[in-house]
Amino acid sequence: MTATPFYIAGTGAALPGQPVDNAALGKAFGISEEWIDLFVGTRTRHFAWDLATGEPTHTLSDLAAEAAAHALAAAGLDAQDLDFAILTTATPDQLLPSTVNDVADRLGIDHLATYQLQAGCVGAVQALDVSRSLLAAGHRAGLVLAGDVTARFMDARRNAVSLPTEELVNYVLFGDGAGAAVVTDEALDDAVRVCGLIHRFVGLGRAPGQIVDWNGPVRRAPHRQMLREDYKAIEDHVPAMAAEILWELLDTTGWSREDVQFLLPPQLSGRMTARITAHLGVPEMREVSCVADTGNTGNALPLLQLDRLVPHLAHGERAVTITVESSKWIKGGLALEKAVPSGLAAAGDAEGEPSP
Amino acid sequence: MTGAVAVVGLDCAFATATGVDAYWDLLMRGGDAIGPLPRRRWQGPGFDGRVQGGFLADPDVFDHAFFSVPPREAAAMDPQQRLLLQSAWRALEDSGRAPGTLAGSDTGVFVGTMSSEWAQLHMGNYARVSPQLGSGSATGMAANRISYHLDLKGPSLAVDTACSSSLVAVHLAVASLLSGECDTVLAAGANLVLTPALGLVYRQMGLAAPDGRCKPFSADADGIVRSDGVGVVVLRRLADALADKQRVYAVIKGTAVNQDGRSNGVTAPSRWSQREVIAAAYRRAGVTPDQVRFIEAHGTGTVLGDIIECAALGEVHAVPREQPCAIGSVKGNLGHTEGAAGIAGLIKVALALHHRIVPASRFATRENPRLKLAERGLRLLKSPLRLEAGPSVAAVSSFGMGGTNAHAVLASAPRVRRAPVRRGGAASGGVFTVSADTPGGLRRNLLTHADAVARRPRGDAAALCWSSNRVKTGLTYRAAFTVRDTGELAAALRTAAADERLAEGVADRAWRPPVIGFLFTGQGVQEPGMSAGLYGTSPLYRSHLDAVDAALSGELGISIKELILSGSTDVHRTLWAQPALFAVQYALAGTLGELGVAPDVVIGHSLGEIAAATVAGALSLTDAARLVAARGRCMDELPAGGGMLAVGAAASELAALLTDAPGVVVAAVNGPADTVVSGPRDALDALARRLAGQGVRARHLHVSHAFHSPLMAPALDRFTDAAARLTYRAPEVPVASTRYGRLLADEPMDAAYFRDQAVEPVLFADAFAAMIADLAPTALVEIGPRPQLLTLAARAELPDGVPLIHPAPGTAATVRDLAEALAVLYRSGLEPRWDGLYPPEQRRHERLVPYQFSTDSRFWRSPAQPSTAPHEQDAPPAADATAAREDPASGTQAAEGSAGSGDTARSPVLDAVIEAVVEVGKYPPEQVTAVTRFYEDLGFDSVMIMQLKDRIENRLPQADGITVPQLLPELRSVGTLAAFLGEWISVGAAT
Repeated sequence: MTATPFYIAGTGAALPGQPVDNAALGKAFGISEEWIDLFVGTRTRHFAWDLATGEPTHTLSDLAAEAAAHALAAAGLDAQDLDFAILTTATPDQLLPSTVNDVADRLGIDHLATYQLQAGCVGAVQALDVSRSLLAAGHRAGLVLAGDVTARFMDARRNAVSLPTEELVNYVLFGDGAGAAVVTDEALDDAVRVCGLIHRFVGLGRAPGQIVDWNGPVRRAPHRQMLREDYKAIEDHVPAMAAEILWELLDTTGWSREDVQFLLPPQLSGRMTARITAHLGVPEMREVSCVADTGNTGNALPLLQLDRLVPHLAHGERAVTITVESSKWIKGGLALEKAVPSGLAAAGDAEGEPSP
Repeated sequence: MTGAVAVVGLDCAFATATGVDAYWDLLMRGGDAIGPLPRRRWQGPGFDGRVQGGFLADPDVFDHAFFSVPPREAAAMDPQQRLLLQSAWRALEDSGRAPGTLAGSDTGVFVGTMSSEWAQLHMGNYARVSPQLGSGSATGMAANRISYHLDLKGPSLAVDTACSSSLVAVHLAVASLLSGECDTVLAAGANLVLTPALGLVYRQMGLAAPDGRCKPFSADADGIVRSDGVGVVVLRRLADALADKQRVYAVIKGTAVNQDGRSNGVTAPSRWSQREVIAAAYRRAGVTPDQVRFIEAHGTGTVLGDIIECAALGEVHAVPREQPCAIGSVKGNLGHTEGAAGIAGLIKVALALHHRIVPASRFATRENPRLKLAERGLRLLKSPLRLEAGPSVAAVSSFGMGGTNAHAVLASAPRVRRAPVRRGGAASGGVFTVSADTPGGLRRNLLTHADAVARRPRGDAAALCWSSNRVKTGLTYRAAFTVRDTGELAAALRTAAADERLAEGVADRAWRPPVIGFLFTGQGVQEPGMSAGLYGTSPLYRSHLDAVDAALSGELGISIKELILSGSTDVHRTLWAQPALFAVQYALAGTLGELGVAPDVVIGHSLGEIAAATVAGALSLTDAARLVAARGRCMDELPAGGGMLAVGAAASELAALLTDAPGVVVAAVNGPADTVVSGPRDALDALARRLAGQGVRARHLHVSHAFHSPLMAPALDRFTDAAARLTYRAPEVPVASTRYGRLLADEPMDAAYFRDQAVEPVLFADAFAAMIADLAPTALVEIGPRPQLLTLAARAELPDGVPLIHPAPGTAATVRDLAEALAVLYRSGLEPRWDGLYPPEQRRHERLVPYQFSTDSRFWRSPAQPSTAPHEQDAPPAADATAAREDPASGTQAAEGSAGSGDTARSPVLDAVIEAVVEVGKYPPEQVTAVTRFYEDLGFDSVMIMQLKDRIENRLPQADGITVPQLLPELRSVGTLAAFLGEWISVGAAT
């Protein structure tokens, strides 16, 4: 699947402010704390807006730039080393300018290719897919960013109990955050090699499982639901699709399940993730999840999981990422392996000069 | 390759673009820096607002006080010198070092400059020449000033080869580095258009562009336009720069300089010589023409000049190659900055390699077809050129009117992958430091840093802090913030800048290195898990506690570290308490020592004297371990039943009570109302009840025995036997002895000393008072697991402003508390060795904003009209002197007033001296007070001393006859001179 290998040289994460626990969330929206604990299973999340006033405290570009700086530091690279940047999000700060360009400005980089993908939970995989092509085409290093912020969609003044369930559920599921990964065409020390990648639209004829709407100044429907989730459809479809992704990754890489030490399953909510993981039936793989702490951060999720995985992944160990975007149904997956040190490109070893 | 030189620091100012970032922005947006001649420089018809050029807006602004240049001298200095001084400071900062740390080094200074038009304007009027104008107008001084004010002792020279001056300066600087003559070198260029003369010359030669624009390689090229500029680069041998982990913008691989010789006229360019100088530079650099990706051409935009340059370039570059060599010239943006042109080009190339993008050349779209660039292997840059990842080679040309040509070959900096940052959760942070010469300067720089930090992505502040510790230190007024991430840092900087005290001109002022007293606490402060927080968060402390633990384990048979950290209450047992406390103290002192905090005096309370003596050098660690283990063991073996009582009364007040308390003695005199008594527990209980009855505060101490009482006697023989086997040396650091209640003179700290101090009372109050009186410590640091002696110190009589510092205040204290202690010491004037505060991967250079100089003072003088005024009245023209200015003196007075050293009453002699000083330097009168120092604050030199002597004699005829050698030692401060003169006069009157 990936004829040209490429590498994740560093990862980063950014979560705004202090974690908001279920007690605080319940109090803010008049939702039962016990219900969140029992049926959602998410313990905390972060918001880029003030729970009391609804005022934004962080923009998506703030979070993406923070995550990017972490990823660059982890990779040991400078912003000047980057040839491209790709941001995926469902919730850009503005429709134009594209948020990715605000991030580039914050990072002090110029004259590079930038892309922004309108995406959901598979966004990071989609960006890595584009990265693969860009690196194969001769670029050396790029930045993948993914994140979402909910300030525009969650109304701090609303008593959520009055909301229909398909909208209410979003209030307890989502959180804000961004993740970043530096991708390179060469195996820097401690890089994670992307050995397999699945990215496929599978939504022909299926109704959307999640809708995130947007508004302009005209034709504004007064009570339009800006967020809607068909949680029943998600419960029905995602576990099966996740299993398909797992086995397809193993088939295409030629790995057996015993070869894989870590599993990064879909992150819908604490409860759903547990159900999906159980359904996959690979208990020997160590699960790396974040949703119970971060909430469903949409685009950021696979990169937040990756950021948690990297410190634990030993040389030669393998991991699979499984993600499903339930909006219009997209499958995403990654097969990852920590590259064994090649002995070249040793960090800090710069005796030589550039040979022109 | 050994011949490689790294460009590690940059600063520049060109028209409409002050600073490197603004310059780069101008280049990237293809900006036009040309405008009309500023009114201030007009000299009548022909040299007025109709003259176009690239002119600096504020060449008259100069922070003279920062460099201790008297206003009179500043007003006489060629502004090129002033601009270079400030630019040199900022470029050195940009290289990741505090400029002050280079003082006394062999750093070289090479400045290219074509002329001093200032000198042409001012030195022709012989009636008005002055020593200041003389030194202010000399061309060589452009370099020598930098060397003087920064105390750089390497070669220092100005280079004049006309328009190639500053690239020739780079060539010489590189050679100086590579020959080993110096380890760091500043190469610079400066140009300032002040007279119409050269413009007229260009016009007569047909070289002046009618539209005031240089249009390099354009079909419309029709001449040059004159422009201002100043640029400084800091160069190091590449290996040195990499070893010091400096940021490398680009590498200079080779340079060459040659001459046209007898060409077609002394000012005519020579295609042959241009070709040869390029070829020579390539040979030295070890590159072939096909490898060169782009060239910053000389590109004057004169018809002939462009043709010859392109022909020469073509002869070299028309070789089989994958892609043409791109060319461009910054003269399209800036005009011709003459003496600074070479450095402008070099900085552009270095930035292009750093950013991996070459700016487009302005006026390139109408390329001159007669240049036949395509067939010559060349391409004029009509749009920016993005450089491929990986190394690129570039070059820069600069040619002088008299035929001296220079060429330099540069390459991308070697790709040094930084040590990847491993994240272990929270940001580690550090201490961010800022320093400035005045409170106002501190505020100004705090604000600039706050803005710059706020623009960065949020994240760990550690690398920023470390960089600030390297660069932003050494000046008098200081701020330091212990922070974790950049958000916290930006907020701290803003809050500090808004500090009322700064607005009032009061700030932490560090005159001199602090005198640090280490206070070692005695038994009783130990607690389970003491220093655990620090052990968990500071690898440095961990290594020191591990080391002392290893030294003690042989004596104790257990790991005292594990006992401490386990949280066991066994730590209170004397057997363990004494070595445990020693271990923590010794490790803390060692940790501080590695961070550059060494005591100038030590004092130890009881058991604390062992660690104090060890840190002072009286005992080796091994022997100290034996001593403290034996002391704990011998005392622990005594039967229980003794105790100690802290009483809130004077020892003398207790004397009567003690006669009725059998076996109870005074064990420690901690202060005028802080006494500890020691003895049998039942007798102490009775005493406590009686004290309570009298309303006197009394508290049992957490000890197992009646220390410092005769009850200790049975333990002493065995302890003395053990102590006698050890080696004692004279302490290397003054010791305030609590055994004697005074500073130790020649008495040894030996076995007898430590035997006696165990039974005799602890005379802390007297020892502490002696330490304050004799050594006047300016900072006190308690060495122990929690503050105790600092509480006593706070109750004692201390001079104002002595910070009481605890590096580990309590079990939960972390490396952040240690950092805060370091921050306080830094504000007090210490220059810590900060590295130990940061993990190695965070010790990397982050770019910080350059120093923001005061812009309040302006110095300018128009060309003087012929004047017959006598020298004495020749003050700088009134309009030229300082305008509004911040007041560095107010802080001085506030700080000194509290120190009590400057409150000399005003006397007629002092008034006369102040008047004379003000007159000599044209200082604002409020800047000169009794505490103002001649050299440090006023920048006095020998010429000024002679002038001062004359003026004093005019005002104080009684002082006639004093010789300069007599005056010299008294020229410390205005006050010391006045005192000396007062004495001289009174003695003279008496005889």
